[in-house]
Amino acid sequence: MRLLAILDDVADKENYSKFLGDLESRGFQISFENPKSESLALFHLGERSYDHVILFPTKAKGLGPNLTPNILVDFMNANGNILVTLSSGVAVPSSLVSLLSELDIQLPTDRTGLVVDHFNFDAASAADKHDVLVLAPPSPIRPDVKDFFGAGADKNEALAFPRGVGAALGASELLTPILRAPRTAYSYNPKEQTEVADDLFAAGEQLALVSAFQARNSARLTLVGSAEMLQDKWFDAEVSQADGKKAAKTFNREFAKRVSGWTFNEIGVVRVNWIEHHLDEAGATNESNPTIYRIKNDVKYTISLSEYAWTTWTPFTTPATDALQLEFSMLSPFHRLALKPDNNSNNNGASDAAVYSTTFKLPDQHGIFNFKINHKRPFLSNVEEKNTVSVRHMAHDEWPRSFVITGAWPWIAGVGVTVAGWVGFCALWMYSAPVGGKGGVKKTQ
Amino acid sequence: MSADPLHALASAGKGESTRGLLRVIILALIAGASIASRLFSVIRFESIIHEFDPWFNFRATKYLVANGFYNFWDWFDDRTWHPLGRVTGGTLYPGLMVTSGAIYHALRTLTIPVDIRNICVLLAPAFSGLTAIAAYLLTNEMTPSSSAGLLAALFMGIAPGYISRSVAGSYDNEAIAIFLLVFTFYLWIKALKQGSMLWGALCALFYGYMVASWGGYAFITCLLPLHSFVLICMGRYSTRLYVAYTTWYALGTLASMQIPFVGFLPVKTSEHMPALGIFGFLQLLAFLDYVRSAIPSRQFQTFLWLFAGGTFGIGLLGLVIATSAGVIAPWSGRFYSLWDTGYAKIHIPIIASVSEHQPTAWPAFFFDLNMLIWLFPVGVYLCFQQLADEHVFIVVYALFGSYFAGVMVRLMLTLTPVVCVAAAIAVSTLLDTYLSTKSPKPEESQAAEAAEGKKGKSGLKSTSKPVVGIYSIWGRSMMVSALAVYLLLFVLHCTWVTSNAYSSPSVVLASRLPDGSQHIIDDYREAYQWLRQNTREDAKIMSWWDYGYQIGGMADRPTLVDNNTWNNTHIATVGKAMSSSEEVSYPIMRQHEVDYVLVVFGGLLGYSGDDINKFLWMVRIAEGIWPDEVSERSFFTPRGEYRVDGEATETMKNSLMYKMSYYNYNTLFPPGKAVDRVRGVHLPDVGPTLSTMEEAFTSENWIIRIYKVKDLDNLGRDHMSAAAFDRGQKKKKATKKRGPRLLRVE
Repeated sequence: MRLLAILDDVADKENYSKFLGDLESRGFQISFENPKSESLALFHLGERSYDHVILFPTKAKGLGPNLTPNILVDFMNANGNILVTLSSGVAVPSSLVSLLSELDIQLPTDRTGLVVDHFNFDAASAADKHDVLVLAPPSPIRPDVKDFFGAGADKNEALAFPRGVGAALGASELLTPILRAPRTAYSYNPKEQTEVADDLFAAGEQLALVSAFQARNSARLTLVGSAEMLQDKWFDAEVSQADGKKAAKTFNREFAKRVSGWTFNEIGVVRVNWIEHHLDEAGATNESNPTIYRIKNDVKYTISLSEYAWTTWTPFTTPATDALQLEFSMLSPFHRLALKPDNNSNNNGASDAAVYSTTFKLPDQHGIFNFKINHKRPFLSNVEEKNTVSVRHMAHDEWPRSFVITGAWPWIAGVGVTVAGWVGFCALWMYSAPVGGKGGVKKTQ
Repeated sequence: MSADPLHALASAGKGESTRGLLRVIILALIAGASIASRLFSVIRFESIIHEFDPWFNFRATKYLVANGFYNFWDWFDDRTWHPLGRVTGGTLYPGLMVTSGAIYHALRTLTIPVDIRNICVLLAPAFSGLTAIAAYLLTNEMTPSSSAGLLAALFMGIAPGYISRSVAGSYDNEAIAIFLLVFTFYLWIKALKQGSMLWGALCALFYGYMVASWGGYAFITCLLPLHSFVLICMGRYSTRLYVAYTTWYALGTLASMQIPFVGFLPVKTSEHMPALGIFGFLQLLAFLDYVRSAIPSRQFQTFLWLFAGGTFGIGLLGLVIATSAGVIAPWSGRFYSLWDTGYAKIHIPIIASVSEHQPTAWPAFFFDLNMLIWLFPVGVYLCFQQLADEHVFIVVYALFGSYFAGVMVRLMLTLTPVVCVAAAIAVSTLLDTYLSTKSPKPEESQAAEAAEGKKGKSGLKSTSKPVVGIYSIWGRSMMVSALAVYLLLFVLHCTWVTSNAYSSPSVVLASRLPDGSQHIIDDYREAYQWLRQNTREDAKIMSWWDYGYQIGGMADRPTLVDNNTWNNTHIATVGKAMSSSEEVSYPIMRQHEVDYVLVVFGGLLGYSGDDINKFLWMVRIAEGIWPDEVSERSFFTPRGEYRVDGEATETMKNSLMYKMSYYNYNTLFPPGKAVDRVRGVHLPDVGPTLSTMEEAFTSENWIIRIYKVKDLDNLGRDHMSAAAFDRGQKKKKATKKRGPRLLRVE
């Protein structure tokens, strides 16, 4: 996996040696580049030159002609992932500001901001300035979201967020905050508002310290508000909370691993192994994935999913409060069904996949339908699968025969009576002798 | 040539068998001529299916040939009307396809491998030959003169009114239906004349074939009962009528109900009620006839009144109840539009939007029938003079047919046969009169006069019949040669009309270069070929319904709507997408999984049949379903003009159709010189911009333009801002002093 790290000064990487070392030990080949470098190019002959990009704070006002927002957007459109780190000491490059604003992430005005909290600061290193926040490891924003970033953290561990920039997230559904500021935190401009911080950029939980963006093609961008929290010194540091609680070890190293791992597709990647649907009726051939069904057929739909966790594919499971849903839709859904784990299904002995299935009766409506899985959850790559089938009407010989329908018996009897009556009448007519001579002039037709 | 062979020839023509042989040869020649005159289009262009509907028929025929009859019968077509699909096997008249399929297989068993396309192209000319023969047979039933039949066959063979629907390549239902129509009428007359069950059954058989072939079968369904009714009213009820009608009705209705598309309509809809009513009426008459023979006349009078009153009352009551209960469907919209030509325009725009549903203009009668139109009343008058049962039929048919031909351009087709028959009777009567070499000898005529005089002794002198007539060779030859000149002119006219007006495939356009040579404009096929080769197999194409069949036939891609306008709402949806702004259209197109949008634009070439000219129909049809969202008024300027230039209304300029038509159009011209040659207006300097779709293809003469619908933006932006970003415009800071920020709630 080719990872490009953008740094002002390559010497700066020493500050991040543990973080970068962790990445390298996970198999990333890191190239370091200066944003001004002429040789820097994200694309070569229309193909991505790197799989991932990590942007450390740079002093440049812009990022140069090789990292314009359009190129970065193209990089994401080509499934590249970006990890952006900011620092309150360094003005955010305008290229990043405009990229982030396309993603509906607002940064403080004038590209400078500082998050402080007068209640949750590190008493050891920022007793006066209160700009090193000490936070509990993040918990999921909703109960039905898998906990990727804070799971397994010790109670004694705390996250240090030194001198960071907070961002305000717009309403875009592709955005999710990973780490939100505590209720008492706020962001102000340290350069202009030295005396009184009266015009706050944002405060409280609206301030996202670490936020994740996942595009429709599952390309990921993570914004880390404080590059410093990834530095070696905060990986091993001990922080003490403002309220005088005992010192705690920082959770930063594990958090950095998880954040970078998520951004660079090491966790939270869902793969569809196969999809199969077939007729589920007695006596049917049960051919796999036919292109056409009939109305009111019984159908079984099965999907196999895996999730990547650091090094291996594992069976994909949904949290207990969530469900994987299948839609059977034409213009609008006719069925929306929860898929159930199917253990009976032949999984080819694979232990790295979970199989979900459901059976249902097709609606009494012919048309072109889609089996649609649209599973989009925060931090999980998007699963959007559409299998188109036609649902035809009843063929002329698929209706029950008339003698099977009890309601038709009077009519069938009517036909019989008419035929018998006509034959009887003919017989009577033919075998009855003419009345006599006068009968001869009887009209015949 | 010497005189002797001529003489021999003339004398040879006198024998009955020789005449029969001559007649057969002449008929064969007429059939040949009628086929030949329909081949202009093949010679001028190529062996290609024409226009719109034939493309569907062609596609259906290919399906039939490839998949067999039962699959065709149960065909669910998932490549039209996406995503609804169409139960095609149950919603078409299969007669045409089955006919060509049968011919195809017959030829293959004879080891003559013919491409199915060529069968389809040449089916209409082949059947026109049969129509000519059917017209001969029908006319022969009217008049003893066999020349009338031959003339009728000739007229039928080359009358433009029929050729318009049956040139080579015009593979439409009418191609075989007119033959079936005429032949069914012939069999009906035959059955009626002879009171024969056999002919009645044959009539029902061909009626069944007709029902399987064309929706116009309702014309027969209404005309035969009407004829019977007129006969009854004239006091001509007879057992012949009873036998012919009941045989036809019972068997014909059963036959027609075998077609899935017709199904139970014959017993449910109002259009079929006259036939059922007359059937019942005939039973009553037969019963009364029997009763009259059984009881004394005095009692019969009372019986008759009671019976008639009772039946009428019960029948009327039953009809009212059945209609109000919905058992019998009320008259359909298409039917109303037959009575009130303005009805469709107000209530059913989709019917009114079809050009062939417009009322006929007067010149069309002369154009399509030429001299036949003034010979036609003469023929009808001659029928009045004899007025046997079969002549009543011609009279009724003439009235009925003329009315409908006046209401709808398309129904000119059903009028043509009766015009040909009546005109042939007129011409042959004239010719027979003036070509007869007999002249009454003076003494004979005097004797006749004397006989007359004796009989009508008391009568006035003027009532006695003098011998009048033109007996001089000079006068006769004047008359005959004048008639011959007319006939020749008629042939010239027919050939001219066929070659100039009715032989264009309309898929391929022809124009003349300044040096007089022909230039082919082949944009349609170019675009459809592009679609076929450059898009996914299941890429859905949205276009106005006119092009649905062609896209399905030529490009082989699924369409949203097509010329089978069975679902008005779906068409209105497309109309709404076309006539709304991009923001409104895009969700509609996403929902319907549209991949490409195809528009026809004639502005560059001056091709007037383009989508901007049809646009108001789209708006009207959409307005019929969504009156709150689409309004026809807003497409007109305050002064009530429909404009496309700089003065066009905002709604017009923002509509998807306008944008797609004129997108990038001004780049063809120097600044400020962009001109639309159809509307003849200058266009604004700045063309429209499109953000939800991108231009995919524009044909050589810009007639067809195809746009690809963009996917949702990868970063979740709306297309306008994404397009602005791509153009390098910076996003305006949304947060800056624009009210409170929207807070995230999760």
